[in-house]
Amino acid sequence: MAPKFQIKVFQLSRFLKNFTIISVITISFLLVFFSKTDYYVIYGIKSVSSSVVVPVTRFISAPINAFSNFVNEYNQFKSLKFENKILQEEIIRLKKWQTLAIQNSRENRVLKKLLNATDNNLILVKTASLINRNDTIYSKLINLNAGYEDKIKKNMSAINERGLVGKVIDTTAKNSRVILLTDPNLSISVKSISDGIFSLLTGNGDGKYLVSSFVKENKMPRLGDIVVTSGTAQIFPVDLLVGKVAKVEKNRFFVLPFVDFENIDYLQIVTSK
Amino acid sequence: MELSKFLNISIKLNIILIISFSISVNSFIIFPNVNNTFYVLFHLTFIYLIFYHYHYYVYVVAWIYGILFDILLLNYIGAHLITFLSLLIFFVLLKKYLIMLSSYQIIFIYFITLIVLLLFEQFLANFIYDYKFNLFLILNFFLISLIIFIPTIFLFNKLDK
Repeated sequence: MAPKFQIKVFQLSRFLKNFTIISVITISFLLVFFSKTDYYVIYGIKSVSSSVVVPVTRFISAPINAFSNFVNEYNQFKSLKFENKILQEEIIRLKKWQTLAIQNSRENRVLKKLLNATDNNLILVKTASLINRNDTIYSKLINLNAGYEDKIKKNMSAINERGLVGKVIDTTAKNSRVILLTDPNLSISVKSISDGIFSLLTGNGDGKYLVSSFVKENKMPRLGDIVVTSGTAQIFPVDLLVGKVAKVEKNRFFVLPFVDFENIDYLQIVTSK
Repeated sequence: MELSKFLNISIKLNIILIISFSISVNSFIIFPNVNNTFYVLFHLTFIYLIFYHYHYYVYVVAWIYGILFDILLLNYIGAHLITFLSLLIFFVLLKKYLIMLSSYQIIFIYFITLIVLLLFEQFLANFIYDYKFNLFLILNFFLISLIIFIPTIFLFNKLDK
C-alpha cells in the first residue's frame, strides 16, 4: 500500500509545480498586456509597490543612503567658504535686480489694470516632498509623498523655485510619481522668450541637457536665450521656466535646465486655471 | 553554527537578491554607479541561482522581481518580467546541454547570458514601451559586468563551498 501512496503524493506535487509555472507565465503575459491600462489589478500592484516595497527598499538601502548623504554634506562643508563668497557677490547683483523688479512689478500692475487682464494662470495643488528617486537606470522617475487624496492627478506639472521639474505620470492614494524633464522619453513644447521660436525638447540621456527634437520652421534660438513652456500641447501650463540655450548646432539646440535635478527636496504640483 | 546551518546557499543568494534589488531601485546622487553595480549584481545572482540552484520557486522569485523592477524603473510591467521568465524557460530547455559543458565554458556562458539579459531588457523596453535605447547605460553595464564578474563568481563559490 505504501508505494502507491508515495506515487500519488509525487504526482500531486508535480501537478502543483506545473500548474504554478503555467499560472505564473499566463498571469505575466496578462499583466504585460494590460500594463498600460489602469485596471484594478495593475493599479493595486503599483499602489503596493509604492506604499510597501519602496519603504522596505529604502530601509534596506539606508546605510548606503546615509553614507551618500554624509559624503554630500562633507563636500558641501568643504566648499562653504567659496560658496559664501559667490553668494555675497550674488546678493549685490540681486539687489540691483530687485530694484528693477519692483519698478517693473508696479508697471505691470498698472498695465494689467488698464488691460483688465487676469493675474496668474497657475493653481497650486499641493507641495510635496521627495520620498525616493529611481533616476539612474532606465527612466528618470521620482516618488513624492502626496497622491490622489491630495487632489494630485496624472499629467499635472511639477515645479520648484527654479522652474519646471517634470510631469506627474502616476498617482496612488498617498504617493505620486513624477517623470523628470531630463528623461529622454518625455517631450515638452517650449518657446524662446526673445524670438518666440517654438520647439519640442526631450532629455538628452546624459541627465544634464535637454535637446530639441523638433524646431518649428527650423529657426534656431540664440545662445543664452531663455526657454519657457509654450502651453501649446496643453499638458504644461504656459510660461513655466525651463532653461537656457547652451549650445546651438545646425539642426538642433541644447538647453541647460534651470532646475538642479540633483538637489530636489520639495516640489509644487500645479495645474493651469 | 546554527545560523550558518539555517542559512543555506539558496537563502544567502535570496538575501543578496533583496539587498541588490533594494539598492538598485534607490538612486544615490553622489554615487550613481552604485545603482548600476547592484543592478548588474542582481542579474548575476539571479543567473547563478537559476544555473546552480534551480528550483520551481525561482519562477515566483522571477515573477515578483520582474514586476517590481518594471514598475519601479519603467512604470510599466514588461521588460524585466519577460526577460526573467524567458531566461528560466530557456534554461529548462537547454539544461541537458549545459550539464555537458566544462566549468570554464559554463562561466563563459554565464557572462554571455548576463550581457544578453541586460541588452534584452533594453530592447524590450524600447520595443514594448518605446523607451529610448540608452547606449551610454549599456556601455556602463558592460564595463561594470567586466569589473565585478570574476569577484562575484569568487564570492559565490566561497558561499557555495
